[in-house]
Amino acid sequence: MSVGGSTGSGTRARDLLTVDRRRILVTFGAAILVFLVGAFLHPGFASAASVKAILVIASFVGLVAAGQTFVLLVGGIDLSIPWVLNAAGVLFATASLGRDSRAAYALLLALGLGALVGLVNGLCISYLAVPAVVMTLAMNGIMEGLTLGRTQGLTCETCRSYAPPALQNAIHAQLAGIPVQLILWFGVILAVTFILSFTTFGRKIYSTGSNAVASYLAGVNVRAVTVILYMLSGFFAALAGIVLVAYSGQATLGLGDPFLFQSIAAAVIGGVAILGGRGHYLGAVAGAISLIALISLLQAENMPDYGRSILYGVAILVVLLLFGREERT
Amino acid sequence: MSDMPRGTATLSPFSGWRHSLAQNMSFLLSFVILAGLTLLYIGLFHGQLNAYPGTFEWTSVVNTAVPTVLVAVGQTIVVITRGIDLSVGGVIDVSNALAATHMKDSLASMVGWSLAILALGAVFGAINGILVAYGRLQPILVTLATLAILQGLAIWILPEPGGLIPPSYSNTLASTQGPWSLCFIALVAVAWLVLRRMTIGVRIFAIGNDESAARAHGIPVRRVKVIAFALSGLLAAASGLFLAASTTGGDAAAGDVYILTSIAAVVLGGISFYGGRGSALGSIAGAFVLTILTNVLFFAGINPLYQSFFQGVFLVIAVFLGVILGRLVKAST
Repeated sequence: MSVGGSTGSGTRARDLLTVDRRRILVTFGAAILVFLVGAFLHPGFASAASVKAILVIASFVGLVAAGQTFVLLVGGIDLSIPWVLNAAGVLFATASLGRDSRAAYALLLALGLGALVGLVNGLCISYLAVPAVVMTLAMNGIMEGLTLGRTQGLTCETCRSYAPPALQNAIHAQLAGIPVQLILWFGVILAVTFILSFTTFGRKIYSTGSNAVASYLAGVNVRAVTVILYMLSGFFAALAGIVLVAYSGQATLGLGDPFLFQSIAAAVIGGVAILGGRGHYLGAVAGAISLIALISLLQAENMPDYGRSILYGVAILVVLLLFGREERT
Repeated sequence: MSDMPRGTATLSPFSGWRHSLAQNMSFLLSFVILAGLTLLYIGLFHGQLNAYPGTFEWTSVVNTAVPTVLVAVGQTIVVITRGIDLSVGGVIDVSNALAATHMKDSLASMVGWSLAILALGAVFGAINGILVAYGRLQPILVTLATLAILQGLAIWILPEPGGLIPPSYSNTLASTQGPWSLCFIALVAVAWLVLRRMTIGVRIFAIGNDESAARAHGIPVRRVKVIAFALSGLLAAASGLFLAASTTGGDAAAGDVYILTSIAAVVLGGISFYGGRGSALGSIAGAFVLTILTNVLFFAGINPLYQSFFQGVFLVIAVFLGVILGRLVKAST
């Protein structure tokens, strides 16, 4: 970017670097800053191994945030994520019975569950006019009850099943020094970015989020778009659940609890507007990395739990006050 | 202010009972559901134990419902301004922890700490309101952040569940001898009826209906929002105090479940999440519906593990019924 160049190239540079894109870069910058501060306080915090470990943790939040970003972009919200994630994880482990031969079947079943729950959410929200907060909140309870009830509180015979060993090995493997989990996340980032930036469906998401009525009049099937986005949110929550179970070996209860607030926080830190229409998954990715890097740094500082919780809240408020303010009306 | 419309029904150009029925459908529905569910509870109870629920049972229902009622009324006020308050759980946590660690068995200590905790709750709420109104931030995000801060504070105050609430405090607030705590609910209901007829109440509804129109009419939108959040904080603190009294001890995570319960009660009470519509009386009914539903599920012999499943289904059906019945009545006008 030529600073002293002609006005023409200056305008072009500014066109490329819109407010929203600058925001994404700032968030990535914040992540790097956390790593630098960490390296200064704890030699080794920014070592390759430590960065990889932090990125892997961030990838779980990142997968969930993909779905959350989709629904936030049309001004929705998905509060059903914790138990959709948990239910998919449990279903994956119990359906696979820990056998590689059943892995593909279990995988499809669990991902299908996520998409199905998303479908029900989306249909009720867009066709029955149930507010998104209420619908997804109720759905979270429904999935919690189903998971606990069907597995007798995770005490059932098949509940002790481990994730198929092949998948466990795959998720822990490294390809050319890069953890497979990160490669998976990178694939998701590419796919979601492609959808948002280079497809007509992506255009429809942004137009629906900016002004649903105008989009409808312009021929966008707003309801169908909304339903698909909730299905994607359920799908990504299920994917995160499967990956978490494969990563830790076994399903647990409460697996999804941290991911609701973290997915919203990651998206918002990265510049996704909660009222819809603005933001990009790349921002949520940067948000997830900065958030998890910050939490890891506080853990490395031996900050007690309550201190971390307080600082976490303060950090979100600071980011909001810096970037999240609405236009003066 | 005298020509401001005072109820949602009078806003309409068509008057008549059909329209007001359509307007208040979800509110009325909450009481119909409550009545039906109560009868079901009595029936199931009789079927199982061959007796009717007595003083003990009703006292327990009321004492379990009061914390939800208090926090739900606060949530209602914020939802009517078109906001949402997720930090109520954190305010309950902090109030509960403070009461359990600091309250001594003397009248001065009990009254002093109760007032101090209520004031603190109002201050926490006002901070939310200031961040939302003057910081121009989204309520859901602000209260998500302050929730994390308050949860941290509560654990700092009371790291392990424990502490002790003076027995006389418990017996006064949450007596197990009879449903005396109904008087708190009556107090809140009367306060609500007064509030919504005061200037501030009308302003709260006006903001929820159309914020820019309210501003154009000279309503100090930002100040009203701060007051609405402060009231929510105050009521959440009251809820935390009552919870401490009825459980006779403290738990820094006791309030977390009330985030979702308060929203569920508001939904069941027929308050619109698009703002400007609803009555706290509906939320009070909604809070009782949630409490009695737990008892109904118990006496219906349903595995407690399925409890949240049925609560979720119940919530969706209730909202759905409200929407459908409202449309039907409106279509017939």
